[in-house]
Amino acid sequence: MIKPSSAAPSPRSPRRHLLDRLATGLIAAGGIGVILAVLAIGAFLALEVVPALLSGALSQGQITRSLSPLAWGTLKAAFWAMVFAVPMALGAAIHSSVYMSPRLRSRIKPTLELMEALPGVVVGFVAGLVLAPWVERHLAGAFVLLLVMPLGALMASGIWRRLSPAVRQGMPLAWAGLWLVPWLAMLGMGALELAPWLEAWLFGGDLRGWLDAELGIDYASRNALIVGLAMGFAVMPSVYALAEDALSGVPSSLGEGAQAMGATRWQTLWKVVLPAAAPGVFAAVMIGAGRAVGETMIVLMASGNAGVMSLSPLEGMRSMAAGIAIELPEAVPGSDSYRLLILAALLLFLFTFLVNTLAEVVRSRLRRRYRRLGDLS
Amino acid sequence: MSLSAVTGFRARLPRGEGPWAWLAAGSVALSLLLLAGLLSLIAVRGLGHFWPSSVSLVELDDGQVFAGRAVRELPLPAADGAIRARERLYFTGNRDLDGHVWRWVAVARITGSERPRELVVLERGRHGDFIGRLVEVMPAGQRGTSVGDGDGDGGSGSKVAWATLQARLSAVDALRAERDELQHRVIPPLVRRLGNDPADSQAQRRLAETNERIRGLQQSMRADAVVLESVDGRRLVLTLDEVLRAWRPNAMSLPQKLGAWGRGVWRFLSEGPRAANSAGGVWPAIFGTVLMVMLMSLLVAPFGVLAAVYLNEVAHQGRLTNWVRIAVRNLAGVPSIVYGVFGLGVFVYGIGGSLDEWFFSDELPSPTFGTGGLLWASLTLALLTLPVVIVATEEGLARIPDHQREGALALGATRLEMLTRVVLPMAVPAMLTGMILAVARAAGEVAPLMLVGVAKLAPQVPVDGEFPFLHLERKFMHLGYHVYDTAFHGDDIQAAMPLVYATALLLVLVVVVLNLTAIFLRHYYRARHGALSRH
Repeated sequence: MIKPSSAAPSPRSPRRHLLDRLATGLIAAGGIGVILAVLAIGAFLALEVVPALLSGALSQGQITRSLSPLAWGTLKAAFWAMVFAVPMALGAAIHSSVYMSPRLRSRIKPTLELMEALPGVVVGFVAGLVLAPWVERHLAGAFVLLLVMPLGALMASGIWRRLSPAVRQGMPLAWAGLWLVPWLAMLGMGALELAPWLEAWLFGGDLRGWLDAELGIDYASRNALIVGLAMGFAVMPSVYALAEDALSGVPSSLGEGAQAMGATRWQTLWKVVLPAAAPGVFAAVMIGAGRAVGETMIVLMASGNAGVMSLSPLEGMRSMAAGIAIELPEAVPGSDSYRLLILAALLLFLFTFLVNTLAEVVRSRLRRRYRRLGDLS
Repeated sequence: MSLSAVTGFRARLPRGEGPWAWLAAGSVALSLLLLAGLLSLIAVRGLGHFWPSSVSLVELDDGQVFAGRAVRELPLPAADGAIRARERLYFTGNRDLDGHVWRWVAVARITGSERPRELVVLERGRHGDFIGRLVEVMPAGQRGTSVGDGDGDGGSGSKVAWATLQARLSAVDALRAERDELQHRVIPPLVRRLGNDPADSQAQRRLAETNERIRGLQQSMRADAVVLESVDGRRLVLTLDEVLRAWRPNAMSLPQKLGAWGRGVWRFLSEGPRAANSAGGVWPAIFGTVLMVMLMSLLVAPFGVLAAVYLNEVAHQGRLTNWVRIAVRNLAGVPSIVYGVFGLGVFVYGIGGSLDEWFFSDELPSPTFGTGGLLWASLTLALLTLPVVIVATEEGLARIPDHQREGALALGATRLEMLTRVVLPMAVPAMLTGMILAVARAAGEVAPLMLVGVAKLAPQVPVDGEFPFLHLERKFMHLGYHVYDTAFHGDDIQAAMPLVYATALLLVLVVVVLNLTAIFLRHYYRARHGALSRH
């Protein structure tokens, strides 16, 4: 079967050995070089900024004055993004790890992965030039929509329980992720039709005027809510993927035990699975926050980029990443404004790097714990 | 949870999962709904732009007449909200006659709206579209002879004029193609020859001849003029070289419209932008994106694989390697704009500045490599996507069972032979997955490019017939930046919106197709791999 090759070198010829040593050395050198190049990013940023900081070329007041609106804007945008993304991502992760049929799950996961890959510039364009003007015109409708979506899911639960068993069998909870889509779309359209009447009845037909007059809230067309919605859309898939991993990684023996004692799947999840997976879910949320802090194009296109510091979600802001993207190409290398922007980049780098490292440590601990729990049973 | 009136033990047993489970299901449904909504919005608006939609002739209650394409309809803002008045937006074209191209009209004021077949739409080189009636085609410089005729026997006269216009336009198209060929293929080499040797008499003569021919071609393109009339009766005379395309949407059948739609899509993909990016196509942006991504792949593939092989196969698997691994993994989560800052500071100002001082000092102070360009952009994106490739490749290497390596070593292979003949071939699908993910990420990334070399409008693509053929120092156009720039820095954003939608759709399609390929590849690889480890 195996033909002995006539030209086969002796198993331990010195030439082959030398070649092997050489190649291994090259691989090691190349590998270390590449890794150093990648890690050089932090070093470069620090080298540009730290001497200026130490020598006092950048004064404390200057830094606070120019960076605090940016830092505030960054945190505000990330906060509202997380407000939209976390409930949706965790809900979706819970549903797909506990209830969803495996066949549907194997389709949904790649779909949400695609959602993660959508370029930020496209999401930002739709948010800034389509969604923002639309919401400005239909402010009441937008708020009603935000309310109707969760209520619609609850309504579906109430109606479903009153259906006949045959119909229920046709529309099981395992496929609810799919057949709720037309239901929610229908409810949304109904809500939009009703919204003008509601607005006329409650706010005299002009919600924006009412907000301004009664609560003294300014409304900016491109505001934190729009940014939050768009960035929540962009961040949600990665939070979902990590949280789903954590939830479905919990050893099944734990959940099975609880269910054998008579707990429902929701009770099992809430009392057993979620506590076990909590660090992983937390890590997922942190990684999502890291992405939201660094996202540039969405904030750039949907936030209006005015450096105002306000708590109101209906006003715009300017984030660090957007500030860098706008100002750095014009800044003269070595000038104060250039250094300040590099300092902003360094802060972004440190923040995301630390958050990600923390999340990674938490996740690897968790994986070890799962393995131990799995071994015990 | 609503319990029925039944009391006792059975009532305390949970019935179903309760409302929270449904909230969770609702969030899956909601995210699917949002994704579908976003994609269909982009697809419908992006593809709909090329559809030759009908033009209506609208008459208002005060006797005004105008022609336009209905774009959308909104409820009129009313004080008490009860009156459901609506207003409609028309695209009316004719910027040179009216000074604007959009017109809002209250629906209640419209007394008549019809779609006469003889209305023409002209795409022009300047001032955007014209919508109105065709009167006649005649030699330029001549006074309109048959003014009375055009109005008098409307139908047949305009039909003849339309047929003439079609014939003349295709002749002008041929002339234009010839002129462009001369301008782009013949002139530049001659100019270069003269630049090298100003006394080259042959080149001088040929250049003069070519210029003469171009002038002649332009003359014959301008030989004919078309007389147009807006629906409210204002006349306009255009020479034919200004007319790019003409169509009569109301007289087209469905297959004709489909054909026109297909040609529109093709022109969008194959032509350069016009009118400050608000019209025309995106060919240079497609070219720039693809070229940049290809250069980036050439850089990232060998280095990514090298680093992964080192981390997984060569390095001592201790605590330090583990820390390095975590650090590399985390760099994938560092914001892309930070990579842009690094690229600007190190590549453009640092390395590019030094290169300029050493090799291009006679061109200073205007920078050659010391400003953003294709090379720096691809290098920055290569750095940005390195962690993706390293992580994916390493995952693939780690999945290869150890007994494969041990088997190879036991048969007398050295480590290099084991790597190149056993391990790496098995890890090829993982590497491919990593590469595709990297390309998909790079294709959609815009923020770092804004710092290191993307341009709003690059007149020259970075590849041409001039030595060294590939110009790494040139700025380039990019689809994603095109979306951002056209949408936010254009003059008439409303008019450019359809093109932005179309560009965004193109970008999404590229990214989605690449990601789907990666997903299928990974699926296939895992399935095959499951079979392997069972042996």
